[in-house]
Amino acid sequence: MTTSRPAEFEDEKLVTLAQKGQREAFEVLVERYKQKAYRIAFDFTRDREEAKDLSQEAFLRAFTHLQSFDLRAGFYTWFYRILVNLCLDYRRRRGRIAWESFDEKTHMAGGQSEMAGAISSPDREAMSGEISRRVGEALQALPAKQRTAFILKNHQGLSIHDIAKVMQSAEGTIKVHLHRAVATLRQKLAELV
Amino acid sequence: MAQDNDLIRRACKEFEQDLVLYYYGERGREESKELENHLEGCGSCRQFLADLRRLLPLTVKPDDPPQPFWENYSKEMQERLAAIAQRGRWWRDLASLFRPWPVPALATALVLILALTLTFGKRIWRSQDLPPDEEAVLEILPMAENLDFFKAMDLLDSMDLLEDTGGPGNGSV
Repeated sequence: MTTSRPAEFEDEKLVTLAQKGQREAFEVLVERYKQKAYRIAFDFTRDREEAKDLSQEAFLRAFTHLQSFDLRAGFYTWFYRILVNLCLDYRRRRGRIAWESFDEKTHMAGGQSEMAGAISSPDREAMSGEISRRVGEALQALPAKQRTAFILKNHQGLSIHDIAKVMQSAEGTIKVHLHRAVATLRQKLAELV
Repeated sequence: MAQDNDLIRRACKEFEQDLVLYYYGERGREESKELENHLEGCGSCRQFLADLRRLLPLTVKPDDPPQPFWENYSKEMQERLAAIAQRGRWWRDLASLFRPWPVPALATALVLILALTLTFGKRIWRSQDLPPDEEAVLEILPMAENLDFFKAMDLLDSMDLLEDTGGPGNGSV
């Protein structure tokens, strides 16, 4: 019997324990990745409850298919692929999402969503709902693969290498998707700000 | 709009993708140095990079749910995982019936039962169901029914014979 705390175990060990039936080991993985999982789901859904459901569903799928997980692959990458696929399915099911409603929701939820890395200049402070809506629309208008690559890089900070694994594409392809997404967004947003 | 687009200067075509990757820190030291050298002498690329630094943060809107949300999240996950584990245990119990050794054993037992049933069953059932004399009656009854049939057949044969002997075209008159 080991004296180490499961919370300190590496992913690989936790997965092995979970594969042997120790559910608590998987719960440690949930605790470790729940916030990241939620945030990536939120980037796709722009809805708190939907993001919670999707990220939880991803964990449950991972748990259900844990026996088929190859330990040579990283749990994080494998799990994120499940999550991103669920998010993409969600978008396909839901069709167009009213991104503007997100702004209303977040403002109503306390308005504490400060732009990441934004400078709190008076111009930024005064950025209207209209601009925020247009930002959402610009993201929404991107082709699915470009948007996915962009969200994983820009919002989640995944490396190109990891994005390629998650999206099961070549790194060169991801770079092209990212470049096109950024160039399009720059074009659209520069007109606004 | 076209006028607006014209105002947005494009970066050098051969450097644009590198600038995006540079912005995200995805260029190596040597590549970055090369790019930085280019940026020193290229206003369009400098502008492009400045635009990325100014505009891309605007696309991020992180949501920061309160602590009770996360507590609820964990609690729900524990419950749902427990439910799946419970269901999995039930399936495992069921699946254990179909593990390699019970399957041939069960099949052999079934074949034996079937063989014994076919071999001895008929005799056993007969002797148990009816007494011997009643069984004999049951065997004779269909034969008796057949007798009526044979009688009718004999009658038809007799009629045919009558026609053959008494008919106009037989040349016997």
